[in-house]
Amino acid sequence: MEFKLDTHPGHTLHLFLFSDVQNSKDLLNLLQTGALQPELAFLNGSVVPDTFPLLAAAHKSLLSHSRGSLTTRTVHSELIFNYSGSKHITESLKRCGISDNTSYILVARFDASPADVAAVRALVRGNELDLSELPKRADRAVILKHYKISSVELDTSSLEDAIICRIAARDAM
Amino acid sequence: MAVAEDSMELEPEQNTSMKLFSQGAEARIYETSFMGRRAVVKERFSKKYRHPVLDVKLTSKRLISEARIVAKARRLGVATPALYAVDTVTASLTYEFIPGPSVKEVLLQSGPIPSSDGKIEEIAKQIGKAIAKLHDGGVVHGDLTTSNMLISPHTNQLVLIDFGLSYTSVLPEDKGVDLYVLERALISLHSANGDIMSLVISAYKQSSKLWSSTLNKLAAVRMRGRKRVMIG
Repeated sequence: MEFKLDTHPGHTLHLFLFSDVQNSKDLLNLLQTGALQPELAFLNGSVVPDTFPLLAAAHKSLLSHSRGSLTTRTVHSELIFNYSGSKHITESLKRCGISDNTSYILVARFDASPADVAAVRALVRGNELDLSELPKRADRAVILKHYKISSVELDTSSLEDAIICRIAARDAM
Repeated sequence: MAVAEDSMELEPEQNTSMKLFSQGAEARIYETSFMGRRAVVKERFSKKYRHPVLDVKLTSKRLISEARIVAKARRLGVATPALYAVDTVTASLTYEFIPGPSVKEVLLQSGPIPSSDGKIEEIAKQIGKAIAKLHDGGVVHGDLTTSNMLISPHTNQLVLIDFGLSYTSVLPEDKGVDLYVLERALISLHSANGDIMSLVISAYKQSSKLWSSTLNKLAAVRMRGRKRVMIG
């Protein structure tokens, strides 16, 4: 699915959700050796309960990219790093990125061409799902722990808003 | 031609889609859209009368402090607009748009308490509870006025805004002054509604574990005013 990023006119973010992915080890390998074409972001789907916080992370990533101030190597790894709300790059890629045996994967690509879209579907061996599956399949306990969200906060805030505030405020902490 | 026009604009990406919503002494508020949702951008501007080095330092310090305190207030269970983005380069914060009305508008349109539907009493209770949560968590709002409190239209939830003057403190003195500022605001603007402050205070007492020392200080502050007497 394509999202137009209204804070960055002309830029888009494509998201693809897959379950039962069998080749996550190969994907990770391609990623780590730098051989992945096109450049993509692989997120652990279970920590993404909604697309909105991810779009906020995309906004931050494009902003740093346009200013030449990326913290990580690429705008796509920056997306995962920003989404994690953590300042620790390795830790954030471990928690919000994929590992050898991740089977539920959210793939993201900025400004994807039709060829890129086809390439993603050829690359990932799994069942493609609709993004509306995200809230149902999210691992709430892991999310609460990772972002340190208490039940007191959820009395007055939605889970998405709690996540997005951590993404936005990270650099102020 | 088009190229020349483009380069004339200072911030082409920002000015096109934003309209000025309100302007204060420290910042301008623009209405905009953030990833398809209604949002406001609070942009701090530089003060030309300040030394440039000091100006940059103060502007970015206050921006960061506001973002931190909003995050802290939310962790304490106080409703605030969700923070969507922080940009230290343009000194701006992007927040969720809360349509209001403000508590100020609600009170000005209402008669004296007791109200027939208990609406004002409910708002006063929510105010006391929210301030108690902030204070017990060591946050002083610094600008508690009825225009900095909004009522979310669907949930009737009280939402606190403008943490631009907020700071962290555990001193009863600071909390007392915080309440005193609200009391003055209520007296000067909303005395037609009756004694709302005592409703706020009784809710505060019920919610805060540290109410006694704060309210003692409030009594002391009432005697002398907001500024501390510093003689000798």
